[in-house]
Amino acid sequence: MYVRWVDRLSQACGAVSIILIMASVLVVSQMVFVRYILSASTVWQTEFVIYALVAATFLGSPYVLLHKGHVNVDLLIGNARSGPKFYLKLLADLIALAFCALLAWSGWEHFHEAWSGGWTTDTVWALPLWIPLLPLPLGIGILCLQYIAELIKAWEARI
Amino acid sequence: MSPLLAGLFVLVCLLALLAIGTPIAFALGFVSIATLIIVDGWDVVSILGETFFGGLASFGLVSIPMFILMGSAVASSNAGKDLYEALDRWLNRVPGGLVLSNLGACSIFAALSGSSPATCAAIGKMGIPEMTARGYPKEIAAGSIAAGGTLGILIPPSITMIVYGIATETSIGRLFLAGILPGLMLTCLFMVWTIYSCHRQGIGLDALGRRYSMAERFQALPRVIPFLLIIVGILYVLYGGVATPSEAAGVGALFCIILVMIIYRMWRVSQMSQIFRDTLKESVMIMMIIGASELFSYTLSVLFVTQSIAEWIASLAVNQWVLMAIVNLFLLVAGFFLPPVAVILMTAPILLPIIIQAGFDPYWFAVVLTINMEIGLITPPVGLNLYVINGIAPDITLSQILRGSLPYVFCMVAGIVLLCIFPGIALWLPNFFMGPAL
Repeated sequence: MYVRWVDRLSQACGAVSIILIMASVLVVSQMVFVRYILSASTVWQTEFVIYALVAATFLGSPYVLLHKGHVNVDLLIGNARSGPKFYLKLLADLIALAFCALLAWSGWEHFHEAWSGGWTTDTVWALPLWIPLLPLPLGIGILCLQYIAELIKAWEARI
Repeated sequence: MSPLLAGLFVLVCLLALLAIGTPIAFALGFVSIATLIIVDGWDVVSILGETFFGGLASFGLVSIPMFILMGSAVASSNAGKDLYEALDRWLNRVPGGLVLSNLGACSIFAALSGSSPATCAAIGKMGIPEMTARGYPKEIAAGSIAAGGTLGILIPPSITMIVYGIATETSIGRLFLAGILPGLMLTCLFMVWTIYSCHRQGIGLDALGRRYSMAERFQALPRVIPFLLIIVGILYVLYGGVATPSEAAGVGALFCIILVMIIYRMWRVSQMSQIFRDTLKESVMIMMIIGASELFSYTLSVLFVTQSIAEWIASLAVNQWVLMAIVNLFLLVAGFFLPPVAVILMTAPILLPIIIQAGFDPYWFAVVLTINMEIGLITPPVGLNLYVINGIAPDITLSQILRGSLPYVFCMVAGIVLLCIFPGIALWLPNFFMGPAL
């Protein structure tokens, strides 16, 4: 139940990331058009693209985990016997989970500061800073949930 | 604890985590934050989010997802097949023409896709069956494509070059230019070796294939030329100083998507979503490693590891070429196990000060480093290209592929030696177009 729910959540995040990437391509192209063909100046495009792609990275990370896309060196565990292999994978997953949990928590603090302090980016656009900061705790938080789901899957596969 | 010892300790921990299969990004992150916690206490966790976010939020990095998107649009279409056919139709009466069209198609496709495995897959699907059908030994067929595919990370636009540029704060345009001539040089070396080894095995170089009329030859062009124009356009825009790499990449990606939609009729949502899913996977993977390596290099500099290693090497006062040989050996070994992007991100902050101190040019070094990474792609245990070939040509065994690729490893080593003797191969073009580096 939990596993299925989290898998779906990660898929949804992946879809959002893809939309952000598509939007970035269009915005970069629009920016180039405005800047070099119309010779006008652009205000929000650069920032939008940067933050959209950072958001796509964080929100996409649980999706990528679901599809085993976070590259690792599987040389040793690829050759290990199934008993030790399980424990090595467990250890590797727990280490990754620990880091992601710290990252998500720290990202949350950063977001919270920006939110309560009413920070904005120091450009003409003056975007409230909490908007670009939110995807980090959100995406990495879901990544943690996905890691827990992967652990459950591995545990069930063993039994 | 002295900085060097601390650095060694961090390195050993990192290797242990990588060995048990922790994803590279999270292993780097975990080692960094654990070290920082030991040194500075728990409060340091609060900088984690800021550093990670700050490492990714830059306009220069925008080019990475954009170039990946461009590559995966091209790779998912039949552009590789058409490119191969076009070259084959034009070159098949030339002695050794099949070899030339295979490796030529590899280097052009490499430029478009910026990815080595994608190049291998796209050209190999056509090239390997064609070569074996015309009586070339399987080893040579597989080996030449595996090696030709590695050019993807050297010939611009190349993702690994962008990553190097970002990690070392060097000019991406200049790096791209530096990669062109060495890329062509390697292509020629591969061609010469392939033709020579065919000749030695008594394989006639006169093509056995059919003749094509001029009409057929021109017919093959319209599908290929738009993509070539995109590469030329991107390079022109970058070196004319017209736009930044990120802008060029964004527009290039848009054009490539439109082209595959028009030329290859890839209208369906499922086809488009496959392109974007591939892009997402690849770019998230790379961006997470970039963010984590930001943290890693911050940690190393807090511990004074980076500075101490540079000082230590300087105090040894070894000959600069001995130093270069050691660095190469180190990179080669790292490349055996880790993907190119990870090696560059992890080693560049440490190696670059050493390299510059020894009087080497950072752009020249980028090329040498990249060729080392190319070698890693066709050598076990994680030679990605070998497995790609194994996947697309199931009738060729892995050991045949390995035997076939080995000579090309020597070609690349020869390439590195040539670059050491004539640094101008890498530096002439950027200096010519952009003036001497500052």
